[in-house]
Amino acid sequence: MRYPPAAVINLDHNATTPLHPEVRAAMVDLLGRTDLGNPSSTHGLGRACREVVEAARRSVAAALEAPALGVTFVSGGTEADNLALIGGARALERAGKPCGVATTRIEHPAVVAAAEALAAGGVPVAWIPTGENGAVDPAAVADLLRAQPELGLVSVAAANHELGNVQPIAEIVAAVREVREGVLVHTDAVQAFGKMPVSLEAWGVDMLSVSAHKIYGPTGIGALVHATHLQLFPRAYGGAQERGRRVGTENWMAAHGFGTAAALVADGIAQTDAHRALRERLQEAVERLGGRIHGAPALANTLNFGFEGAPGELMVMNLDLEGIAVSTGAACSAGSLEPSKVLLGLGLPPERAGEAVRVSMGRFTTEADVERLLDVLPTLLARVRKAAGRAAS
Amino acid sequence: MRVVCAMSGGVDSSATASLLLDAGHDVIGMTMRLYDASEDERKGRGGTCCSPAEVDLARRVCAQIGIPHYVVDERERFRREVIDPFARDYAAGLTPNPCTRCNQHIKFEPLLQRAAAIGADAMATGHYARNLYGQALLRGVDPRKDQSYFLFSMGRDALQQVWFPLGTWNKDDVRKYAEGKGLPNWGAPDSQELCFVPGGNHGDVVQRRAKEMGISTDALQPGEVVDADGNVVGDHDGIHRVTVGQRRGFRTRTPERRYVLKVIPQSRRVVVGDVADTQTSRLEVGELQRLDLGPSGEVRCTVQVRHKSKPAAATVRWDAKTARVEFDAPIRSASPGQAAVFYGEDDRVLGGGWISKVEDRVNGPLESQA
Repeated sequence: MRYPPAAVINLDHNATTPLHPEVRAAMVDLLGRTDLGNPSSTHGLGRACREVVEAARRSVAAALEAPALGVTFVSGGTEADNLALIGGARALERAGKPCGVATTRIEHPAVVAAAEALAAGGVPVAWIPTGENGAVDPAAVADLLRAQPELGLVSVAAANHELGNVQPIAEIVAAVREVREGVLVHTDAVQAFGKMPVSLEAWGVDMLSVSAHKIYGPTGIGALVHATHLQLFPRAYGGAQERGRRVGTENWMAAHGFGTAAALVADGIAQTDAHRALRERLQEAVERLGGRIHGAPALANTLNFGFEGAPGELMVMNLDLEGIAVSTGAACSAGSLEPSKVLLGLGLPPERAGEAVRVSMGRFTTEADVERLLDVLPTLLARVRKAAGRAAS
Repeated sequence: MRVVCAMSGGVDSSATASLLLDAGHDVIGMTMRLYDASEDERKGRGGTCCSPAEVDLARRVCAQIGIPHYVVDERERFRREVIDPFARDYAAGLTPNPCTRCNQHIKFEPLLQRAAAIGADAMATGHYARNLYGQALLRGVDPRKDQSYFLFSMGRDALQQVWFPLGTWNKDDVRKYAEGKGLPNWGAPDSQELCFVPGGNHGDVVQRRAKEMGISTDALQPGEVVDADGNVVGDHDGIHRVTVGQRRGFRTRTPERRYVLKVIPQSRRVVVGDVADTQTSRLEVGELQRLDLGPSGEVRCTVQVRHKSKPAAATVRWDAKTARVEFDAPIRSASPGQAAVFYGEDDRVLGGGWISKVEDRVNGPLESQA
């Protein structure tokens, strides 16, 4: 056996997506150009490159129903979340407004860790309760804000990266506005973008994080999207790019890819029904094998499940050896696998959380891909359960 | 056959994986993450076995030779089974043997379980020891590298499923092979120190962990050094900084060479004597592992009490859990907490256990010890 095998079935699109052929073509064209300079330069080379960046900005803004000047390019979802929480809270603090942060335990680590960093620096942080399936109740957010007048920033992900749960963002915004004005609402829309309609305007949020490599664009670029004049405390100093919110020479090569990918998201959303049908098929098969579903998946492409007595780590290894890429959830930096903090946050005991397997389909997923997974699953499951049971006995 | 190769990131396990691939096996590399980056590593002084830097090296080797590689997290188990007993033993005045503990509790079972779960027929490691058809454990052929001393506690079940391809190799040949294959770690120095205490300052690790575990660190304070008659002859910086049989970690007021004979944690006293006092002719071991021994009996064999010490002829009488060793001639430096391993003919490991009592001038006869 040679590794990796020639053809891998990718069912891990929530981790990253392959570059769309049209994005690749657009980027390759751009990389061949010699008439582009630094976007901040006065000369023609600079002006030409500035237009590359601004065209990308307009494209991302249009896809998210946001003003173009409200698109701040950053390195990706993690930086966007950090800028929203830390940059937002610091700006509120400087303006003498309440700057405490309310968020949930099932957010992406970029939000949870940023909140913890703020808490370590003395900023009040409150955790919004989540229901049994990870649902956020807008009334619970309002109650929390009423009880704690020091809270000034709310962050809830539009779609959960591990479970595929979708939260009622517009309702959360409405509930927040009823309690008091001036509270910033942020949503991490990294997983939602490209899989469902995402709109700054329709949702009424103040800030929204997105990432290019989750929508078939390049890695290394994302955006925090917001109202044109929103004050954000910068995280680095040196220049005036991105209106001072995120300084440093613009990553215009990646921005061009991001802009191209953003123009294609409608094609992806059009696949929702096909993905939902495949997910329902997968869910039925998992339940027939005695598995349980984690969360209340609403994103059509995502299913998170677990089989009692079958550690997710071993299921993922087995499927990898069969040439099928799935995940246990968020990948740990050292490459080793730890129980998902999202599932622990849902209240699952560590053994159960350690059984999680996340399947996430993408634009090029076929019925045959899912069929292949279903073909091998029963045998692998039996083998894992037998081996894991041996150790326990 | 599908074989899981346990990979530490060192040259031995990397060469093992490559050899298995040469032999046509379907090889899967697996590396355990056992502890977080040490202080030394964060300061850029490099890593030891299973440190994050070595995990990366294992990953690189697997990518180079074209096999899958998985990192598994066993930090919790390693702390429970290796680091905590290490701290506890030192605080109790014993000389722990963490490498054997690691081989007993960490190296095999957690990986064998995963190997079975992913449909592997066997598991291999880069140990220098020979496995005779799953029936017997023998010394490796390279006398400088033989690791059978650390493996006596691996158990019969593991013996039936684990391969040691390097058992018939000399280390120099392994390096040459690795160099020929272009493995990046072919020239890396052999690790000599404990993986979780790089720099060799185990005293600090014991102190820190004992404090975290809530073990009283009173016994780890400086104390007196006394001779066999109880006369104070010097002082030391903590009983965990001395090792029975060694001459380090304490100061005496006279120039004679003094060796640690015994550690008394209750009074924080370290008893020292001259080289003749370190001699033992009898000892008792507990937690007996009967790899190639029946339920009870008596055997003439050789017994080794340290990784690098010379095996000595002895008579061993054993029952289910304990054994008594009578050496033909007195040996030096047997310490409670260390492993005593019994070797039969053909370098075969018969079994072994953990030294619980030693008979010497300070401790008196085994029969009189609690």
